[in-house]
Amino acid sequence: MLSTAFYVGAALLLLGTVLPLVRIGGDGVMRRIALFFSMLALLVFISFSVFILYTNQQVYLAPYGIAPGLVLSFRIDRLAAFFILLISVVALSASIYSVQYIGHWHGEKRKNILTGLMNLFIAAMLFVVSSANMFAFLFFWEIMSMSSFALVLFEYEKPETRKAGLFYFIMTQLSTLFLTAGFLGLNAVTGSFAIQPADIGTGAAGVVFLALFVGFGIKAGVIPFHKWLPYAHTASPSNISALMSGVMIKVAIYGLMRFTLTVLQPETWWGVLILVAGTLSAILGVIYALKEHDIKRLLAYHSIENIGIILIGFGAYIIFTNNNLPDIAMLCLLGSLFHVLNHAVFKSLLFLTAGSVVYRTGERNIEDMGGLVKRMPYTALFFLVGAVSISGLPPFNGFVSELMIFTALLQSYALVDPFMKVLMLSSLAILALTSALASACFVKAFGITFLAAPRSDNAKNAKEVGKYMLLGPMILAFLCMSLGIFSYQIFAGAGYVLPIPDLLLIGSFLAAAYVLAWFVLKNVSSSAERMGETWGCGILTQTGRNEYTASGYSQPIVRIFSSIYRTKEVREATYFDESKSLFVQGSAEIHLVKFFEEALYLPIARLVNSLSEKVSRLQNWNLDTYLAYVFIAAVLIMVYVGWFI
Amino acid sequence: MIASGLPAGGDWIEALLVMVLVTGAFVVTRKDLLSLVSAYQLQSLLLSVIAVSLYLSNGSEMLLYLAVLTVTSKVILIPYAIKKIQKEIKISRDIDFHYLSPMESITAMIFLILLVYGSFTKILRELSPGDLFYLGAVFGISLTLMGMLITFSRKKVITKVIGYLTMENGVLLFSLFLTELPFMIEVLVMIDLFMIVLLAAILSIGVDSSVEEFREKFNAIHIPRLQKRFEHLRKRNGEEA
Repeated sequence: MLSTAFYVGAALLLLGTVLPLVRIGGDGVMRRIALFFSMLALLVFISFSVFILYTNQQVYLAPYGIAPGLVLSFRIDRLAAFFILLISVVALSASIYSVQYIGHWHGEKRKNILTGLMNLFIAAMLFVVSSANMFAFLFFWEIMSMSSFALVLFEYEKPETRKAGLFYFIMTQLSTLFLTAGFLGLNAVTGSFAIQPADIGTGAAGVVFLALFVGFGIKAGVIPFHKWLPYAHTASPSNISALMSGVMIKVAIYGLMRFTLTVLQPETWWGVLILVAGTLSAILGVIYALKEHDIKRLLAYHSIENIGIILIGFGAYIIFTNNNLPDIAMLCLLGSLFHVLNHAVFKSLLFLTAGSVVYRTGERNIEDMGGLVKRMPYTALFFLVGAVSISGLPPFNGFVSELMIFTALLQSYALVDPFMKVLMLSSLAILALTSALASACFVKAFGITFLAAPRSDNAKNAKEVGKYMLLGPMILAFLCMSLGIFSYQIFAGAGYVLPIPDLLLIGSFLAAAYVLAWFVLKNVSSSAERMGETWGCGILTQTGRNEYTASGYSQPIVRIFSSIYRTKEVREATYFDESKSLFVQGSAEIHLVKFFEEALYLPIARLVNSLSEKVSRLQNWNLDTYLAYVFIAAVLIMVYVGWFI
Repeated sequence: MIASGLPAGGDWIEALLVMVLVTGAFVVTRKDLLSLVSAYQLQSLLLSVIAVSLYLSNGSEMLLYLAVLTVTSKVILIPYAIKKIQKEIKISRDIDFHYLSPMESITAMIFLILLVYGSFTKILRELSPGDLFYLGAVFGISLTLMGMLITFSRKKVITKVIGYLTMENGVLLFSLFLTELPFMIEVLVMIDLFMIVLLAAILSIGVDSSVEEFREKFNAIHIPRLQKRFEHLRKRNGEEA
């Protein structure tokens, strides 16, 4: 029964992939049918995963051999079902949103390709988390990477999209390379490709873990492997950004958790490594986000921050488990997993609503927005829900998961090792700072985008989006609220009674207080309208130019962290004379140093470039050279056979 | 192994083998095209004499067929065709070399023969063939390597062809002494096919050119276009960066 549901869902999704491509140049009928199929499929997957989550059973599907020795096998347990659930929920909203959103691109062919690839991308993610052997995992992982690469390149005419695509392609292939190395390492020790507990020595396990950590870290956008993420998420269409940021990077987290918990026996230093990488990603992610004025890039940097928070929880879980504190460890793991779900929900909500704003204004720079709350009220409301959730304010979902991690980390005093104590408490302090900065950043994002008067004609002429583009985000906004308010009940239903407040109770009190305040204001205060000139510093008519800007708002924080945003001054001047006393002309520029790009990525790229130049000299389009290679190869074989066998 | 069992005239065959190697060295070093072809002709003739000698000592008829085939094709037909072409293109000397000069080639070959000898000592230890077969196998491989060396160290296409033919003779020699024939026939056929394709292309486009000139005439094939496209892309990317 359960396996049939999986097959039905998979078949519908694959139909959704193929249908738009069958009549690629045709009108939108097939596309709409495909989207309908994918929504149906995702509803099937949601029911399927919820059932497995609450009945705690495992489903095995019949293995499928695609070639001798290469078998795709599937197993869905509770962890996999949890990830299937979050992928399906986010993808469902994105599909509903796409019904109208895809319509605004030019060219039927492109729209159909976008729809087909999106469904393939969703199917691949679902199959990755359902895989029971490493071959299936890698196979679908590659399909996921390649389909998302094609989606990033959707607007390939733009040079910045091509750059983003190239960046993404290289990083995603590096990720696959490390994963393949890790899997082959595991296979070399255990002789099996199945994803099951492996009994291997600590040294080998450490090497395998490092390879997998780098592989999954690249895909998850962990600092310092994060550089592709702000580029790719900004360049792709917004429904795809929602899927990539909401769920694709979580698939990497799934992989890390699956292999660390199910296959290997984690050691304490692994936990420390994950915790440190997470802390670094969290704080640097939010600091970079504060500086951003491109709304999609700002959200992309927040994805890095939230992946950091998830990793802090996961790293702490390993440390607590290895120090015999299972209860606190479980709180960490559940907090981390709950944050995975929450981030998927609110980040896709934010990307979808930001997509609506970009769709209506044609701008990505928030400095050119403003006043949208009156023009796009529902979109503004849903964005606000997302912003409040990501800032971790009660009673929304982000609050609960962050609270769980905070509560667990606060109990670090139970650890015996003083180094661990200091490490965990430092991480806690940085996490607290991260949360505060995230709130500040979203005050900026919401305030500058939606409040006050419009600062451009595009913003002034913006209109509310259509009903499908509201329905998708509405589902997610509703989930943000209900996952927060009913968090206690949700965990209790799954069999975990946790030391977290019952937000249903608190939420009810809060709601009652709001209703009371509204009622009092409505009835007691004077409702008569009064017209009057407000004090405008002597300027009679206030325009958008008088408003607080995003740069102005973030300036104090940017100044505090100025040592992190390193700047470089470039001065150029020409003079009439040699002693440089008669100035002709000159320029001075202040650039923000892209630290990771300039200190890590570019040197590596240059090294690879110079190596490939050397290697490419072997290829000189000369027949004689190639014949000489054959000759040398024959001689080398002779030497090898004669002396080394 | 066609020539199983010890042949009666072992010394005689050994002398023939050495002469084959001498013709190989001759092909590696000579610049005069006419003597190159004659050396190849002689080499092929020596091979057929070896085949006949082996036939006389153990009587496998296959060896006789092979000798007849070699004489008709490699002693008569192919040299005749090459000499005819040579008259038409009016070049008599190939003085352009790539990577290795004739002296360097012959020095390299001496070391390579020693290398092959050393390698085969290990490989054939378990098979323990007779001395003669061992020598035949080593000389066969050495002759193949000499042919290969000619293919990349000479610039004129016609000399390269003689290199390929010498390679094939090496394989034939090896097969006479050591390996099962059916497998080796396949190798021979493959090399022959390769040669036919190459010869056909050369005859249709121009046998009197060096490879560089040849390539210019080869514009109908897409490789140069691909190369141009590649350079164009590289330039464009460079501008963008």
